Amino acid sequence: MTTLAIEAHNLGKHYKETTALSDLSLQVEPQQIYALLGPNGAGKTTALSILTTLIPPSSGTARVAGFDVVAQAHEVRRRIGVTFQEIVLDRDLTGRQVLDIHGQLYRLGKAERTRRISELVALVQLEDAIDRDIKTYSGGMKRRLELARGLMTNPEILFLDEPTQGLDPQNRVGIWDYIRTLNREHNLTVLLTTHYMEEAEALAHRVGIIDHGTMVAEGTPAGLVASLGTELIRVQGSGDTAHFIKTITTMPFVLRVDQDQQQGVIQIYVDNSTRRLLDVVQMAGSNGMRVDDISIARPTLGDAFLHYTGRGLRDA
Amino acid sequence: MYATYVIWAKHMHKFSRSTEEAMGLALQSVMWVVLFGVGMRGLVGDVGGSDYMSYMLPGIIALSALGGAVGGGLILLDERLRGITKEYLVAPIPRLSILLGNAASTATKALLQALLMLLVGLLMGARLAGHPAGWLAALVLVALFALGFSGLALAIAAQSRSIMGYHGMIFLFNLPILFASNALYPLDVLPSWMQVVVLFNPTTYLIDATRALAFGTPATLPLLLSAAVVLGLAIGGVGLAYGSFQSALKRNM
Repeated sequence: MTTLAIEAHNLGKHYKETTALSDLSLQVEPQQIYALLGPNGAGKTTALSILTTLIPPSSGTARVAGFDVVAQAHEVRRRIGVTFQEIVLDRDLTGRQVLDIHGQLYRLGKAERTRRISELVALVQLEDAIDRDIKTYSGGMKRRLELARGLMTNPEILFLDEPTQGLDPQNRVGIWDYIRTLNREHNLTVLLTTHYMEEAEALAHRVGIIDHGTMVAEGTPAGLVASLGTELIRVQGSGDTAHFIKTITTMPFVLRVDQDQQQGVIQIYVDNSTRRLLDVVQMAGSNGMRVDDISIARPTLGDAFLHYTGRGLRDA
Repeated sequence: MYATYVIWAKHMHKFSRSTEEAMGLALQSVMWVVLFGVGMRGLVGDVGGSDYMSYMLPGIIALSALGGAVGGGLILLDERLRGITKEYLVAPIPRLSILLGNAASTATKALLQALLMLLVGLLMGARLAGHPAGWLAALVLVALFALGFSGLALAIAAQSRSIMGYHGMIFLFNLPILFASNALYPLDVLPSWMQVVVLFNPTTYLIDATRALAFGTPATLPLLLSAAVVLGLAIGGVGLAYGSFQSALKRNM
């Protein structure tokens, strides 16, 4: 039996008046990329803070790289690299100074620091900027530097909290490439949080959907989508939607119905969308609902997210 | 602890980059000496056996030490507000080394400011008197005083939610240091209610002892008492910083 890279059992974090995390369990195999997908405030960062030893859990246990995050926090810290949700850099230092000081904190020797810095700077393509003050960096360059800092100490497990938040699509795809390369060529285990469905889909071997501080679904991206059904009809309209949903749910060809309250979209999973399209329109008409827009689609991870959390990711 | 040194060195590097702040602080103290000291010298001439410049210099040195401590605390506050302390917290280093690194850099800065002021004061005509061993003892007292106020500044910096709030709290210490002490006038010219206030101010003891040890003004308070008060301030300040830091750690800084 191989040791799991990360295992959490019934993690909870309670504050005086709020519960940030309740009963979260997860397992990450070595050399996997695992994405915690959830809306803001779902508890992703709290989970990450516990796993990276920043805060102790109120209940439950977790082991990272085989060590307990509370009792053996020091051992865990030696083996992980972390990037935080917000950009955490000294504006008045150069990129090279940031990496070098980070290496010193982990007691890497001078020769090793120099070697690691030149390797990592090449990886994240910051050769031209590494000796400039960080205040001259763009958002994408800062994220790349933080990624390099997280990797500076050659960690076994890398934790990334919203690694591409606020980046343009080009920079985002760039970061994805680095993460995939690291995972493939350096056997790095990665746990990342994101509220971008595309990010989870593009990167993760496994995805955990988290909402209100607890895991609501887990699986491979393809598996999560497949569990919903094969085809999907999206209906947007006004009128007596509640009655329409109630009626259509009873139809034999309907597998399940989800409603995105904020967007007013009803998602109907059916056996065959082209054949059932007309049935759906007719049922809407005879149940007091006026259809404004209707489309057919293959379900995506975003639909799985809506199904499990009752919220569209767009508003998350 | 090596991590303490790494954090200290990083902060010293940051200080060396923030020349505006250092210049501003130095100029503020220089202006005290030049504008106030020179003017008052004309009016007063001679206090307690030494000229007014020598008389007021210890107080200005104390003020400079405070200014340096404030600047040092600001680094901790800034790193806290930006989340940079989290980089230390996930690193395999003792939690205490984070506080010690901050305390070392803050006290270094406070002491540097104090020494700079001493130099300016001497250039402006203050005269050292007495035995060099006494000068050294005075320097130790100034260092302890700097450490105490560094602790106080760090204790506030570990809790403040904003730069503004921090400055507001610190400002509370700024004026009393000069005016509710014997920095500018001798103790015995004050009304008795104010003498009580002044005797509660640890700065009074530092100034009295420094004058006696290095500037040739006879001590008005027992020297050992003054040394004990300054030492107590240092221990209290560091203790306060430790407690404040520990409670901030529980909240994840």
